[in-house]
Amino acid sequence: MPALGTFLLLSTFVVCAYAVAASVAGARRRSERLIESGIGALYLIAALMTVASALMIHAFVTDNYAIKYVQRYSDSAQPLAYKIASYWGGLDGSIMFWVFLLSVFGSTAVKVNREKHRELIPWVVSVIAATEMFFIFLMVVHNNPFSTFLTPPPTDGRGLNPLLQNFYMAIHPPSLYTGFVAMTIPFAFGIAALATGHLDDAWLRAVRRWTMIGWLFLSFGLTLGMLWAYEELGWGGFWGWDPVENAGLLPWFTATAFLHSVMVQERRGMLRVWNVTLVILTFFLTIFGTFMTRSGVVQSVHAFGEDRELALLFTIFMVAILTTSFGLVIYRLPLLRGRHELDSWVSREAAFLVNNWILLFSAFFVLFATMFPTLSEALRGERLTVGPTFFNTWMLPIGLILLLLTGIGPLLAWRKSTIANLLQQFLWPSTGALTAIVALLAFGVRVWSSGICFALSAFVFVTIAQEFVRGARVRQRATGTDILTAMIGLVARSKRRYGGYIVHLGIVLIFLGFAGQGFKQEEQVVLKPAQQVTVGHFTVRHDGLAVTSDNQKQMITGHVSVFKDGKSLGVLEPARWFFNKHEDQPTTEVAIRRSGAEDVYVVLAGYDVASQSATYAITVNPLVNWIWIGFGVMAIGTGIALLPDIAFSFAIARIPSTATTSLLLLLLVFPAGLRAQHAENPQEVLTVPKSALERDLQKEIICMCGTCGRKRIGECTCARAARMREEVSTLVADGKSREDVYQYYIAKYGSQEPLASPINKGFNRLAWLFPYVLGTSGAVAVAFAAIRWSHRQVESPSTSVSVGINPELQARLDDELRDLD
Amino acid sequence: MRAKPIKIAATAAVLVVAFGGLLYSTLREGTEYYKHVDEVMADPAAWQGKRLQLHGFVVDDSIFVKPSTLEYRFKIQSNGKIVPARYTGVVPDTFKSGSEVVLKGRLGPDGFAVDPNGVMAKCPSKYEAGPAATKS
Repeated sequence: MPALGTFLLLSTFVVCAYAVAASVAGARRRSERLIESGIGALYLIAALMTVASALMIHAFVTDNYAIKYVQRYSDSAQPLAYKIASYWGGLDGSIMFWVFLLSVFGSTAVKVNREKHRELIPWVVSVIAATEMFFIFLMVVHNNPFSTFLTPPPTDGRGLNPLLQNFYMAIHPPSLYTGFVAMTIPFAFGIAALATGHLDDAWLRAVRRWTMIGWLFLSFGLTLGMLWAYEELGWGGFWGWDPVENAGLLPWFTATAFLHSVMVQERRGMLRVWNVTLVILTFFLTIFGTFMTRSGVVQSVHAFGEDRELALLFTIFMVAILTTSFGLVIYRLPLLRGRHELDSWVSREAAFLVNNWILLFSAFFVLFATMFPTLSEALRGERLTVGPTFFNTWMLPIGLILLLLTGIGPLLAWRKSTIANLLQQFLWPSTGALTAIVALLAFGVRVWSSGICFALSAFVFVTIAQEFVRGARVRQRATGTDILTAMIGLVARSKRRYGGYIVHLGIVLIFLGFAGQGFKQEEQVVLKPAQQVTVGHFTVRHDGLAVTSDNQKQMITGHVSVFKDGKSLGVLEPARWFFNKHEDQPTTEVAIRRSGAEDVYVVLAGYDVASQSATYAITVNPLVNWIWIGFGVMAIGTGIALLPDIAFSFAIARIPSTATTSLLLLLLVFPAGLRAQHAENPQEVLTVPKSALERDLQKEIICMCGTCGRKRIGECTCARAARMREEVSTLVADGKSREDVYQYYIAKYGSQEPLASPINKGFNRLAWLFPYVLGTSGAVAVAFAAIRWSHRQVESPSTSVSVGINPELQARLDDELRDLD
Repeated sequence: MRAKPIKIAATAAVLVVAFGGLLYSTLREGTEYYKHVDEVMADPAAWQGKRLQLHGFVVDDSIFVKPSTLEYRFKIQSNGKIVPARYTGVVPDTFKSGSEVVLKGRLGPDGFAVDPNGVMAKCPSKYEAGPAATKS
């Protein structure tokens, strides 16, 4: 079975190589048959990866612990759903899952577009297949998920980290991955357009939809991550600017920027270089995000795997992406010249431009701040860190400006706004914002920054309402129906525009949730039974502690009554759970009382059973639920924008059919009521290495306990590993060199078995070189095949874009045609 | 037409300088030195009053809690150098004798004053099993 898996991966690699070679050659020779076979190969990759994934899931479901990866991330007691979710629980499997998704997406994108964009397809196929090649190469030489134990396999697995055994965690990574992977498709089309020189707007039309889907999944993944952090981790917040979170946010910024600037190119033929750049950057950032969290270049309180070899491979790939892509952009610059200049700064395209700069700036800022500790260490030799405060000082004003632009953009006309229409457009939104300010001042709400956020939210909200009402009025007059029907018809008529406004509405709600954080109240208290504490509007009374147990765990539960203005709101039961076999790692079960206005969030931080007293961390989180609701609204908006025209042709007077799906999604995202959550904070203290040599050795010597699957002693948690670490420590302290330590272990165990990898010397070096030789020769073979097959026809593949009769006339014609939309 | 590149360059220059200045000034307030106890205690006077993230290990049996409060006094060490610390608030589950911690706060003459919520227990394998995009 595992052998079949490895074989499948290897054959996928070969098929990928063929797809690249055949497509490139086909495009250059204009051989329909080669192109077709390239497309066929791409479909074949999807089929192979599907079978490989099925094999992997089968291994998890049947508890095949002969496979290291399965043993590491699953155990027999795990529920079926988590066994399946373990597939993407670790590095090796997540890379495989990535390739699987990309192969499916790639095939779909090619299938959908192969007739419409014939000239681009071979290049799209080769870019997708080349990306897949990289990841499969990574798997085959470095992280083969199908690798097996050489020794007799352990009888049970180690289990997925309990912290990740959670509903959100099961769907959060696939959602983020889907978002990440979907961004590869626009990139492939972008590169194809650059390679062929077909740089008119056709490729943009092909990728808009994909970017939107990717963007939606990215947003969904980010939201789920926030929800998970909020419910599981027990610190009362949802976003901590952790490098892992930032990694998901970076491509989100550039994708958002692209979705906006693409409109400018479609309508006005401007910003072409910019759009291509954004597509490339987005793809690059998805790869960079994976690299950042996986290779250990960035460190945070939470340690990620540190892996130099992986870092090297990723660096090579990223450099290759950047040089090829931007090389192509520079090569095609003459074809990328815009058809228009910016007419006026008081125009919609200018607003989009500013929005793009800010989004791009946000991406670079977050990137810079995330990389800052690494940068400062490299430049000054001193590790300086920046905390969430630093992120917040910057991102808060940036967020507010973006919110303002969300309101202003739709009010400005394309090309140039006149004073008269500015007045007409801004009257109501400004009134709305002013009313909000007056009301806030009357209630004594702080102006900076929550007050401003509320006022801006009002502004944007009125803008959106005005757009809908004005549009509906016009349509009502034209069609003679009632206003509601007119409004639905309006949405159906230009889905992207009004879908976009609904997305904006979701953004406003999310910002309300963020603004609520300004009014967060926290209290940490020790309470004896019947004592109470008041936090904000709420009074929390400690009623007592209960000690119970079931067959899995022992539970210490605090019983807490919550009152608001003297009225009882019910009982909350925050708890600590002590799982059997993990007694020294209690898990924190947060209890939340949700409501639209405020959440009461109670954590049992400590307890004393004898005196029945308990330590509580209580947080009152205003408006936080609007973040999740806001995402639901955003999803509905995106859904509307994505709907094919057909879906609306018969739904024009009815409720759009996706509403039910979106509603379900909303319910999914927003589980109401009180629920004790499950979290675990595993603890373990490893001996910190005292020298660089010792640190290296901890990564090079393997724990010989025989049950932990050849983990490095630096990462294994068993007692044997601890002993071995101390052994290494004393050896190093005795002044032994690396060689001496190796020899010590080889003598002790009679072979090189305790070494993580064969000594890099002499004959053993062959084993080190082998994968690289394989990879390089593969690349050379592909290049050779591509050149060879395209040998006969060497004429330039680029047929220049039709220039038209008269550029001026063409521009005007385009403009008018677009205005019909 | 000649003026356009100049305009763009000038705008870009102004923006870069403005943002660079802002970034520099906020960075000075926002950064914290990430140091091990022994590095800091080699020259305590130089580090007093600076924002620090102090990395060390809780000295065995050094944790004292004032009964019925959340006031903690404890010592952390690395490579033999010890510094006393005080903290008020809830500590993470993993905070106990011998655990590896990172403390946020400032060094004073009488020890290290930890910021509210400034105790972070470092767990090397906590998210090891996490997918690429696990949240903190």
